[in-house]
Amino acid sequence: MLLLPAVLFAGEDLQFPVEEFTLDNGMTFLVVERHTAPVFSGYICVGAGSACERIGDIGTAHLLEHMMFKGSQEVGTTDYEAEKELMIKEDSVWAKIDEAMQRTRYIRLNEPDKLEGHLQYIADLEAILDSLSAAGSKYVVQNEFDQIYSRNGAAQFNATTGYDFTYYYVSLPANRLELWFNMEAGRLLKPAFREFFTERDVVSEERRQSVENSPDAKLFEQLIGTAFIAHPYQIFWEWQSEENNLTRDDLQRFFDSYYIPQNISVAIVGDVTLDEVKEMAEKYFGRMPRGNEPEPIYTVEPVQPGERRVTLEFDANPAVSIAYHKTSFDDPEEPVFSIIERLLGEGRTSRLYKSLVLDQQLCLDVSAYTFPGNNLGDLHNNVFCIDAYPKEGVSIDRVEKAVYKELGRLSSEPVKENELTKIKNNIDADFIWGAYSNMGLARNLARAHRLAHNWRFLSTARDKLLAVTPDDIMTVAGKYFTKENRTVAILVPKEKGGEQ
Amino acid sequence: MILAALTALAINPRDMSFSPIDFDAPEPERWVTDNGMTIFFLEDHQLPVVTATMLIRGGQVYDPAGKSGLAEITAALLRSGGAGDRTPDQVDAALDFVGANISSNASKDALTVDMSTLKKDLDTVFGIFTDMLIRPMFDSAKTALEISNRKDRILRQNDDPESITRRVYYETVYQGHPYGLYPTLASIGNISRNDIFAFHRKFYSPGNCILAVSGDMTIDELNSLVGKYFSGWKQSGEKIEPVANAEMKYRPGVYYACKDINQAHIRFGHLGMDMKNPDRFAMEIMNYCLGSGGFMSRLTKQVRTSSGLAYSVGSYNYLRPLGGTYFSYCLTRADAMAQATTMMMDIIREVKKNGITAEEMEIARDAVINSSIFEYDTPSKIVTAKARLEYLGFPPDQMEKNIESYKAVTLEECNRAAQKYLDIDNIAIIITGNKELFDKPLETFGPVTEVSMEIK
Repeated sequence: MLLLPAVLFAGEDLQFPVEEFTLDNGMTFLVVERHTAPVFSGYICVGAGSACERIGDIGTAHLLEHMMFKGSQEVGTTDYEAEKELMIKEDSVWAKIDEAMQRTRYIRLNEPDKLEGHLQYIADLEAILDSLSAAGSKYVVQNEFDQIYSRNGAAQFNATTGYDFTYYYVSLPANRLELWFNMEAGRLLKPAFREFFTERDVVSEERRQSVENSPDAKLFEQLIGTAFIAHPYQIFWEWQSEENNLTRDDLQRFFDSYYIPQNISVAIVGDVTLDEVKEMAEKYFGRMPRGNEPEPIYTVEPVQPGERRVTLEFDANPAVSIAYHKTSFDDPEEPVFSIIERLLGEGRTSRLYKSLVLDQQLCLDVSAYTFPGNNLGDLHNNVFCIDAYPKEGVSIDRVEKAVYKELGRLSSEPVKENELTKIKNNIDADFIWGAYSNMGLARNLARAHRLAHNWRFLSTARDKLLAVTPDDIMTVAGKYFTKENRTVAILVPKEKGGEQ
Repeated sequence: MILAALTALAINPRDMSFSPIDFDAPEPERWVTDNGMTIFFLEDHQLPVVTATMLIRGGQVYDPAGKSGLAEITAALLRSGGAGDRTPDQVDAALDFVGANISSNASKDALTVDMSTLKKDLDTVFGIFTDMLIRPMFDSAKTALEISNRKDRILRQNDDPESITRRVYYETVYQGHPYGLYPTLASIGNISRNDIFAFHRKFYSPGNCILAVSGDMTIDELNSLVGKYFSGWKQSGEKIEPVANAEMKYRPGVYYACKDINQAHIRFGHLGMDMKNPDRFAMEIMNYCLGSGGFMSRLTKQVRTSSGLAYSVGSYNYLRPLGGTYFSYCLTRADAMAQATTMMMDIIREVKKNGITAEEMEIARDAVINSSIFEYDTPSKIVTAKARLEYLGFPPDQMEKNIESYKAVTLEECNRAAQKYLDIDNIAIIITGNKELFDKPLETFGPVTEVSMEIK
């Protein structure tokens, strides 16, 4: 275990000693002791997300995240060995179904008289799969992982699949610290991908409600898919067709590659002591074997050579989303972009809100943000986005022109000192609020560490922001807010009838 | 902090046991000012910040007839319409410059104004906060803009299927009651600037207010601020007429909202119990097992985990001052609409008839009691909780009483609550989707009314 001396997480009057230690296998823990109430929050950040997926296996990271709630080889089962045998059988039946489905089109083309029998064969296999699932369910203690946490007083218990990273988090009463270690080590060392085939269906429903039937999300999916032509960030949400055909092996391969101790950052904030956290970390995670360094993502999104535009027809009111390619978290221009993001979109005095919503009254609302937008930045080149909702009777064209005019001002007029001071005041305030709750602080520490391999990046990133000058803003705005660097997605009401 | 004795070998987490949580939450100071405003306060020197919530008697239920939306517009204009000596732009600039936030809202049953600021800017921000409450400007241009934007939002009200389902549900179950009223283009069009001033005068009055404050300050500092900014505030003296409780006016059956999506958004239920009904603890525990306990509940286990029919499914016993509602919901693919709805109704009927098990009940009870610490683990949560309890007319020790009540719930009480309060035969069933895609006709579940999607 490598111990580092406590460093103050400091700014103005804010002081929390952040303790850090790393196990021999590379897993890093960050601890902040806060003894106001007997509770703590645990935040695990795994250095893999949907951007690590390969074409053909899209949806792996998200489905794996769901599987991580199914328990472990201990939790969620009365007999893992019996379950495992049935799961192996399920997988081989699925392989037969998969293979048969691939053959269907050729039978339909070349041996149509055999088609009915072939489809019956598939239906029979599916019935066998169902009965294997039913047999397996006899050994399952359903949702026991959640049950153990819930009855022990868990709050904020959830997970999120991101693009660069995946996050697992929970708050618990402080005397359950060892429970947390036991549970998390169980699912990180010896997971069990049970109830696999039904969970694929659950994930499909999630996509339907979150994307397919949501005008905002569906528009965004079009925007991102158009802006990126090479990089994995182009996939906003997994495709149904690939997700429906994922196998346990696909998930296991991803898990083995990425869920390794060197690739995991943990933050624990609350009524705990460093000594007990160290002891438990060693006991429960010390035995986790190091893995091979996963293959990095080599893809660099090529520079966009001209404007891209895409339309979504949907039964909803008009909206427009605009994306500009920008820098990754450690690029020297990134801090300037963060300032630009605040100038354009933070608060009612922000450039876009004030101009488009209040003064010109063109829009109901307008927002500016980064995608993927992990608070301190993203691993790869990403996009800066603007969403605008026109008021009734205002054309998208007028809204676009108004947005571009504001962006143009940034490259031609230096920002006044007062406005820059406002931004810097907000940065200072956010830094303090970031430590307000145990979960919030744990989240910020774990993410900073995974991103920069150094939690102090929380402070150094902020210092870089405070050093941005009006000239920097003009330069970066002029460089990136160009027609050729933008992608525009427009939501229009559904057309009726064919080509006119 | 006693270092827990670590077990020599890792045991199965299910076999780990822990002593009950022992936490003496700090008790806030409470006092009433000369002009009738109640204040709750707790110091919190962890960070150089201050937060405050003002609860004001009022809310959307007090919108005059034909003027639905007045409460929401008044609340919004408190924030955006200028206050004291500051124009709207000056208010925005002053708050944004220091990174402070003030938000003003009107829910059905309450008006709230929330404030958060760094300690160093407290005097300025508290001054703006009180100006908004006492002397809002309701600038003409901003008022016109707010009314125009509200209308534009109404024009967008059918864009998202879940917001359709929610709205139609409340309109149906609370037919004839303010809980079931939503602003329309017509009702917004009836609202004048005079109406807004009148609404503000009537409700935003010190005797109607409860202020909850916590942060990096002392009680003397707070007293000084309150004296400086609130002492001139006079009572409105206007009587607030009580609003009647909700009564069942809907016809049980299916209410269909047509939208061409590939899912069915389902929500069915009925009017529920009174907010102070002593059976509510048994009901809460029973319902945790039935549908509100996430992965622990039967609805989630069967409809989501076992069948894969939904990502979002559950039930909720919604307690409200003027009459609660009990509802179940599910978002499923269109061609499983009937399958999922039938499954949910069968589960509810089963629990109504045969109750829950002792094992389920103990898990639910542990979950509810052990997680309750997260309602009061910070000074800010404590003062806000105390303020809400007083606003709703509960005694100050209601949180402790709740825990004792949950501890005392018996299996028999849970199952009696299931029999009495799950009124599955008198439900309004709202289904949003495209009926051409459903696996069975809507008539399967009762007489069908197609809800007009016309925006008025």
